[in-house]
Amino acid sequence: MSTDPPLPHPELLAAIPRLRRYARVLTGETTRADDLVQETLARAWEKRRLWAAGTDLRAWLFTIMHNVFVNQRALARRDAQNVSLDGDEDGNAAWQIPVRAMQQTRVELIEVLREVGRLPVDQRAVLMLAAVEEMRYEEIATVLSIPIGTVMSRLSRAREKLRRVAQATPAEPSTLKIVK
Amino acid sequence: MSPLPLTDADLNAYVDGALAPARVFDVEQALAKDPAIAIRVNEMRQQNALLREAFDPWLADPIPAVLVDAARAPQARLPWRRFAPYFAIAATLMLGVASGWYLRDATLERSGTPTTFARQAALTHVLYAGDVNRPVEIWAAEEKRLVTWLSRRLGFAVHAPDLNSAGFALVGGRLVAGNERPTALFMYENADKQRLSLQVRKQPPGTSDVAFRYAIEDGVGVYYWIDEVCAYALSGQLDRTQMLSIGRLVYAQLATPEPGQSK
Repeated sequence: MSTDPPLPHPELLAAIPRLRRYARVLTGETTRADDLVQETLARAWEKRRLWAAGTDLRAWLFTIMHNVFVNQRALARRDAQNVSLDGDEDGNAAWQIPVRAMQQTRVELIEVLREVGRLPVDQRAVLMLAAVEEMRYEEIATVLSIPIGTVMSRLSRAREKLRRVAQATPAEPSTLKIVK
Repeated sequence: MSPLPLTDADLNAYVDGALAPARVFDVEQALAKDPAIAIRVNEMRQQNALLREAFDPWLADPIPAVLVDAARAPQARLPWRRFAPYFAIAATLMLGVASGWYLRDATLERSGTPTTFARQAALTHVLYAGDVNRPVEIWAAEEKRLVTWLSRRLGFAVHAPDLNSAGFALVGGRLVAGNERPTALFMYENADKQRLSLQVRKQPPGTSDVAFRYAIEDGVGVYYWIDEVCAYALSGQLDRTQMLSIGRLVYAQLATPEPGQSK
């Protein structure tokens, strides 16, 4: 509707890299991630009257993305009963983002990316929002529609897992080939 | 009253700056007394830093045209894209002119031309200039460290031009994973909190020079130029004349090679 106030285009555009990154972390894959971002932007425009101008656009977009993701996952799970998708029933399969697409050259960093990919998707989400997006716990709770207590427990579980991996694997260089 | 025992959640919240002030005091006391807790907190901080270092480069990936379009108001989008991919072929035939333009755009985007450089610079500027808390990785207070670090990461000597005469003070800088090669970003701010960013990256050998050019990318003005060594982009939401005069200032300072600067 032309009567609705438009969303601020530069801000929306600026949010795309963050949305894509988060979508990749959720879906574990680049193509599905971009579909998710596209769907999120479409929803954002549909629901633009629900966005209060001046409030944090990023958090609002992440909230929409979370809802779209949850719905898509539910649909995929329903389809899975008929079609049988391999190993992705909980959305917990390790991700398939190729090392090259990760643009990383340090083994340490590649290892971190891999380990994040091995976390259950719920923990991945909280870890990304807290540690990388630096959102406040209250914001994360809103984005994911979960209580703050759950945010905290998922976060501490995720960090604990990464820590244990970091301690158990003290650098195994040479075995990784980096495609540049 | 003795404090409640510290939990892992307390430490997490402390590291994330989300702990209630009263509790922060308890944690800090425990930190001072118990080295194991101090180690744990330090590990969490390092983990955070590592995560950011691992995931931040993803932000610099070029944005697919379809997503740039999806960010536009529905009525401003090219009509055929709404039906893509189903009618993409048919629509391309019908809207030859519009899609021809689109394809030209997409080609430029892929091949890393100056147009892409300006666009990328504008997007990067919007991304970081809008970040109130962390627009830069290293603040201007540590300018020397910043310059040394960026020069090392970029593989050639860069320095932050002094724009004080134009009313812009250096905020700091960061490394940006560019489309093809790493890019240094220097952020400046004036008294009205307007921000400017200067991005510098090395040019692949054999690219031709581009004299001062101005482009408006998504509401951000970008002055860019390319010499035989580097590509430069000055981005900001200022008027064109102001941008031009600052652009000239930057150009004058960067064009003077530092003594001993390697090619």
